[in-house]
Amino acid sequence: MFDRVEAFYRPESVPEVLRLLQRSKGQARMVAGGTDLVVEGDRSVRFLIDLTRAGLTYIRSRDTTCVIGATTTLADLEESTAIHALAGGLLSRAAAACGSVQNRNLATLGGNLAHGSPAADMATPLLALDASVVVADGEGRHKMPLAEYFGRAWQNGASHALLIEVRVPMPPQNGRCGWSFQKFGRTEVDLSLVNAAAGLQLDARGRVKWARLALGAVAAAPFRALPVESLMAGREFDHSLLAEAGEEVMREVQPIADLRASEEFRRELSRVVAGRALEECAARAGCSL
Amino acid sequence: MNTTVVGKNLRKVDGFKLVTGGAAFTDDVLLPGMLYGKILPSPYAHARIKRIDTSKAKALPGVHAVLTYKDVPRVPHTTAGQAWPEPSPYDTYLLDSKVRFVGDRVAAVAAESRALAEQALRLIDVDYEVLPAVLDMEAAMDAGAPVIHDEPDSTKIFDREHNIAAHIRREIGNVDDGFREADFIFEREYRTQRQQHCMLEPHVTICWLDGDGRLMIRTSTQVPYHCRRQVAMILQIPVSRVRVIKPRIGGGFGGKQEMLLEDICSALALATRRPVKIEYTREEEFYMARSRHPQILRMKMGVKRDGTVVASHLQVLATTGAYGSHASTVQGNTGSKVLPLYRAPHLRFECDVVYTNTPVAGAFRGYGCPQGFFAQESLADEIAYKLGMDPVEFHRKNAIRLGDVDKLSAQLGEGKEGLPRVIRSCGLPECVKRGAAAIDWDRKRQSLPARAGFVKHGVGMSCTMQGSGIAGIDWAASFLKMNEDGSFFLQVGASDVGAGADTVLAQIAAETLGVSLGKIIVTSGDTDFTPFDTGAYASSTTIISGGAVKKAAEKVRAQVLGVAAKMLAVPVENLACAKDEVFTTTKPRKSVSMAEVALQALYQEKLQIMDGASHYNTDSPPPFCATFAEVAVDTQTGRVRVVHLATAVDPGVAINPMQAEGQVEGAVTQGLGFALSEELMLNHTGWPMNPNFLDYKIFSAKDMPKLTTILVETEEPLGPYGAKSVSEVPINGVAPAIANAIFHAVGVRIRKLPIRPEDMLRALYEQQPELKPEEALVTQ
Ligand SMILES: Cc1cc2nc3c(=O)[nH]c(=O)nc-3n(C[C@H](O)[C@H](O)[C@H](O)COP(=O)(O)OP(=O)(O)OC[C@H]3O[C@@H](n4cnc5c(N)ncnc54)[C@H](O)[C@@H]3O)c2cc1C
Repeated sequence: MFDRVEAFYRPESVPEVLRLLQRSKGQARMVAGGTDLVVEGDRSVRFLIDLTRAGLTYIRSRDTTCVIGATTTLADLEESTAIHALAGGLLSRAAAACGSVQNRNLATLGGNLAHGSPAADMATPLLALDASVVVADGEGRHKMPLAEYFGRAWQNGASHALLIEVRVPMPPQNGRCGWSFQKFGRTEVDLSLVNAAAGLQLDARGRVKWARLALGAVAAAPFRALPVESLMAGREFDHSLLAEAGEEVMREVQPIADLRASEEFRRELSRVVAGRALEECAARAGCSL
Repeated sequence: MNTTVVGKNLRKVDGFKLVTGGAAFTDDVLLPGMLYGKILPSPYAHARIKRIDTSKAKALPGVHAVLTYKDVPRVPHTTAGQAWPEPSPYDTYLLDSKVRFVGDRVAAVAAESRALAEQALRLIDVDYEVLPAVLDMEAAMDAGAPVIHDEPDSTKIFDREHNIAAHIRREIGNVDDGFREADFIFEREYRTQRQQHCMLEPHVTICWLDGDGRLMIRTSTQVPYHCRRQVAMILQIPVSRVRVIKPRIGGGFGGKQEMLLEDICSALALATRRPVKIEYTREEEFYMARSRHPQILRMKMGVKRDGTVVASHLQVLATTGAYGSHASTVQGNTGSKVLPLYRAPHLRFECDVVYTNTPVAGAFRGYGCPQGFFAQESLADEIAYKLGMDPVEFHRKNAIRLGDVDKLSAQLGEGKEGLPRVIRSCGLPECVKRGAAAIDWDRKRQSLPARAGFVKHGVGMSCTMQGSGIAGIDWAASFLKMNEDGSFFLQVGASDVGAGADTVLAQIAAETLGVSLGKIIVTSGDTDFTPFDTGAYASSTTIISGGAVKKAAEKVRAQVLGVAAKMLAVPVENLACAKDEVFTTTKPRKSVSMAEVALQALYQEKLQIMDGASHYNTDSPPPFCATFAEVAVDTQTGRVRVVHLATAVDPGVAINPMQAEGQVEGAVTQGLGFALSEELMLNHTGWPMNPNFLDYKIFSAKDMPKLTTILVETEEPLGPYGAKSVSEVPINGVAPAIANAIFHAVGVRIRKLPIRPEDMLRALYEQQPELKPEEALVTQ
């Protein structure tokens, strides 16, 4: 699988990681949990740089932001009380939906995002939470919104830069807020055919103050469905709004067709899964349809 | 039954070794100088090798052999591990100048590391003449379809011009007359897919020459003796020069009732005179091993107004892939084990098994029955519904029962006329009763799927049977000898493939000899040291090998009692053995321990207490099974969740109930995958699209429903201590029970497997939910 690997490094600090990366001139791969990398089995790799001892495993909850180190495992996210307290435990619930227990004990948040899979389950909740990331390369550290990391930055080789941490601004606490993560795979342990993360605040009269919706696995990268969000703002949360939002979702997604599912099915699922996410948000905000 | 060892939940005799990770499996040994073998798979579904140049591969340092068809004997054979003469066509060659599916053998190498072997494969230069391929079984018999086996030396092919490997037509009664007697006739088509075994341990073989130059084959097989015979024939060496050793096996499920790697691995060992190991990767396992035969089934049943089945007609088109391994016998089972479940006097089974340029099918748990029962039990449910009858009542009315004689089996034996089946034990009514109670059938049939919301619940059921060994063909031998401490060596040719045969056979020996389980030391599946056994398949081991063990143990017990009679000075008739001693059954009570008997025999009498026995049956008593499923259908996504699966099985007497339950749970897990998620998909050029666990979906712990497993024990006169079999039958009923539950939930019939969410959702869109029963019949 890694026939040509000559060295496996275990750097103990970020500067050391960066030095190793520079020295290996593109022939090194960073490895965290290895649950994507090992499956990939890239035969060209000559050096592996293990990130799990570089001091990037932490969850720090501050007043305005929650900061999560890149090598924090999905199991950590599932269990952390700080993460449980954030947006009604949205990130814990998304983490719990990834693979199996064994998988989550190894898999890291950084790996999930850096792998660049459109189906990464941690991407949509973080997009919905307006998260940003900090990456480091030879020129220093850069902070950028997660959406930018997936878009421009990722395509321009940001995957070769070290992802340091994810910063999640604390969502509004006041008022009737609800968050939801929904995923659909062919079986219980599967990559998402569609996933959706949503957030919603309702005013006293049941009108939507703001809505957020992110969709995964139905476009080249996970994305925020902004037209759906603006369509919902200010409207009363009811069946007809949900139906309209669903129609809009079907227009927004650009799913592929492959052996896992047809384009048609993915489109239909997007509507259903997004609808369920919004409905769960509303229910958590105290409005059950 | 009053027993002390049989019928008890004793731990597996090999369990400790397995759970502590001791050296147990084929791959757990590392021989000095061992080379790694690798097979070059064909990239084309159908092609002729015009030129093959191995010089570059041979020149690579560390490569010790490269074999092509030019280097090996050409002996037509089948890879099916069946009793000689195998009923499967002899259409396979060790290596050939023609390749017939993507994954077929082109060449084989042995090198000092796996990486070197892979590199050597890339250096083999092949010119192919690509031939038109036929992948679709419905097109295989067409005039002008490419002929897959045009080589003249293959034999036993039914009609090579039309790619028909095997053809079957059998009838009892007169089905046409039967349909004329019927008030209603129903006919439907069903389709089943290519399912893989996905055993934990892939196929793996290590071959070497011992000090005497004999060929040693350590291999993951269900059929050591068939394997020895086949390898000897293919390599044209005497059987006496070959030894097959079967260590612990990590699951076979029929996939290892096959001589798959042993021939080529042996050829490499002979060519290099060094130990060679070949182990399939998971990817290779998916398309270079064996699979379940995909079938298209047309099922027609005629019934009286009161629900009595008068005639059944099943027409099957199946594909065996590129080679005919198990072609006629798997498909024969689809008729002979399925149709006689109902007592209809008129039964007809017709089947064509065709070659296609696709991965090779073979034996797989259920052996043709899961396909057949999916059709029959789905149609039975449909008929019951149309007649306004409870499916439970329909089965009560029509199912085979104690004392019945199944005459279809007499016509459909293993490749020849079989023997009639007499039902001497039958727990099916009790299975239905207890399965229904476990799922709360009566209440749920009424109350479901009334629940509002988009997730609809429903319950469905099915009844199935199987056999216990192949009547008149499967046979086994065993040998026992006594040691100084009153323990016994038990030698059996039987192959424990993880299902627990060693434990069950030891329990039978211990019970018969009156000793505890720890006093039996088992050696199994080694052709040099254990007597003959046809192997672990056809649900035969407990009943056939167990029968041989019981007979041998009875003979040895007689010898033990003979020695004890002299020691105690009482007639043999007044002696019995239990709890590791021999004692008098008359007053005054006197006893000697087994160890004392052994010492007396060995050192005073100069007698080795030992004996062996052979055993076969002329009938194959069916185990029965009733499967009940509750499903929840998400009508927005098409996801079918099985909420509860209750399986009630009649295995005869369960020699080890805990192990029997384990077999039931394993079988239904594979049945769930067959029903809902598993399928090896090929693209339009015959390439496997999902040879990995990411996209070939087996059931994981998280997918599992609540399972209820019920053993309904009966006493089978032909089985040792009343045992029949258990490991195959529970897989048969899962798919139809689920499909029937789906119908109960949402009123839509699914007749094609697997039922993936997308298929379910499409069906919900495309099919009109069924009308009420009474209306349905009027519009017939
Ligand atoms: C059985 C199974 C089930 C799975 N189920 C799911 C699922 O349900 N949902 C889901 O989203 N995923 C799933 N995955 C995918 C995978 O487990 C996750 O994406 C996981 O989070 C990856 O993290 P890792 O630490 O294992 O990454 P690795 O495999 O170590 O790395 C993945 C990629 O990211 C790079 N990388 C890792 N860390 C960094 C960093 N800090 N900076 C820069 N680059 C980095 C690596 O170089 C590599 O290219 C599954 C995988 C398996 C094997």
